[in-house]
Amino acid sequence: MKLSPKLAFLIDALRALPGVGPKTAQRMAFHLLQEGRPGAQSLVSALGAALVCVKRCRRCRMLTEEELCSLCASAQRDATLLCVVESPADVVAVEQSGGYRGLYFVLMGHLSPLDGVGPEQLGARELEALLGEGSVKELILATNSTVEGEATAHFLSELAARCGVRASRIAHGVPVGGELEYVDGGTLAHALSGRQLLG
Amino acid sequence: MSHGPQRTQLAPGYILHHMPYQDSGRILEVLTREHGRLSLFARGVRGPKSKMAPLLQPFRLLLLSWSGRGEAPMLVGAEPGGSAGALPPAHLVACFYLNELVLKLTSRHDPHPALFDAYHAALEDLRGGGSLEPALRVFEKRLLEEVGYGLDLEAESRTGRRVAAEAYYQFRPAQGLVASSRDAAGALAGRSLMSLARERLSSRSELDDARRLLRSALEHCLEGRELLTRSVARSIARRSRAEIGK
Repeated sequence: MKLSPKLAFLIDALRALPGVGPKTAQRMAFHLLQEGRPGAQSLVSALGAALVCVKRCRRCRMLTEEELCSLCASAQRDATLLCVVESPADVVAVEQSGGYRGLYFVLMGHLSPLDGVGPEQLGARELEALLGEGSVKELILATNSTVEGEATAHFLSELAARCGVRASRIAHGVPVGGELEYVDGGTLAHALSGRQLLG
Repeated sequence: MSHGPQRTQLAPGYILHHMPYQDSGRILEVLTREHGRLSLFARGVRGPKSKMAPLLQPFRLLLLSWSGRGEAPMLVGAEPGGSAGALPPAHLVACFYLNELVLKLTSRHDPHPALFDAYHAALEDLRGGGSLEPALRVFEKRLLEEVGYGLDLEAESRTGRRVAAEAYYQFRPAQGLVASSRDAAGALAGRSLMSLARERLSSRSELDDARRLLRSALEHCLEGRELLTRSVARSIARRSRAEIGK
């Protein structure tokens, strides 16, 4: 059966969402156009408004509607600590851990030389300017523990050194509640080389 | 003749590049010793539940198993093929450059065991604390040999006269070495050419000569295609103190 053009277009558009294939997109479209109509209306306005208003924070590149995001604007945060992460989702993850009171810088990706993604795309210039202001004393490199994340962390540590800022790398190791037997070799090697003295 | 699913077990290989595939999968571009370069579809290897995710990283020797043939075989297993020793982070971008050379200068399903060995040797050398530049130049030289553009570093192309340590030469792609004066543009010292032939580059001038020669030979093979890793390395070098060596 051939669906009407607007319906087919909606199904196609819904597939822009992560994890949504043709079947799920069709189910979503039918739901939104039948019992979900009020929800569809608010989805339209929420998406429209977000697209117009949400941009990147001038300082940390986190998604926000203001010039400065709520974290950068807050006087409660420790401005001497700057945590560099790959994505806005990482900011949320670190915030939820509850143990960090400093500020962030969001790269929106990682170095990916084979795809031509270099320092410019990651906001190196903005980060350099931020470090140049002089308030940041420690740059915490919280990029992913992948080869690309390591390459990014190394590049940023060089950049920090040039700006006279100390750089630190988050620890990698055995997960809380994890058993050594089931931890992969690479993680275990990291855990051993990053061991800490007790007492 | 039947063309049923075919399974390849534990083939030594390296991941050269990877890209996301659907929600939780990856498409891996791998270099294997016996089967050449190929793409593998790897389902469910992203996300917290994947046991394979920590393994499936570039520059790590793996034993890969896949099923199916043709353009898109499916990864069914991966095991570590060696120790998990990490490459020095300062060399990572340069190692991506090696990957790009392999990706751009080899064709799929065309086995080059010697190229695989050269790649493996370069990474092992760097893992063991070897210097970056000699490792890159030796790999470039061996890669050119393997893809059919090997350099004749022993003799002049026109006269067949043996290269002499004290003499100077120019390199012309598609032709070879021609004798030149020391002051000629792009003049290469005979001593450097002999060191490159022996794969024993040490002095600054030998390394510089080898870099210029190999760069010009590689550019000829790349036929105008740009190396993305080279431009990224250049902009990193502009922004940091890193010595990328390219």
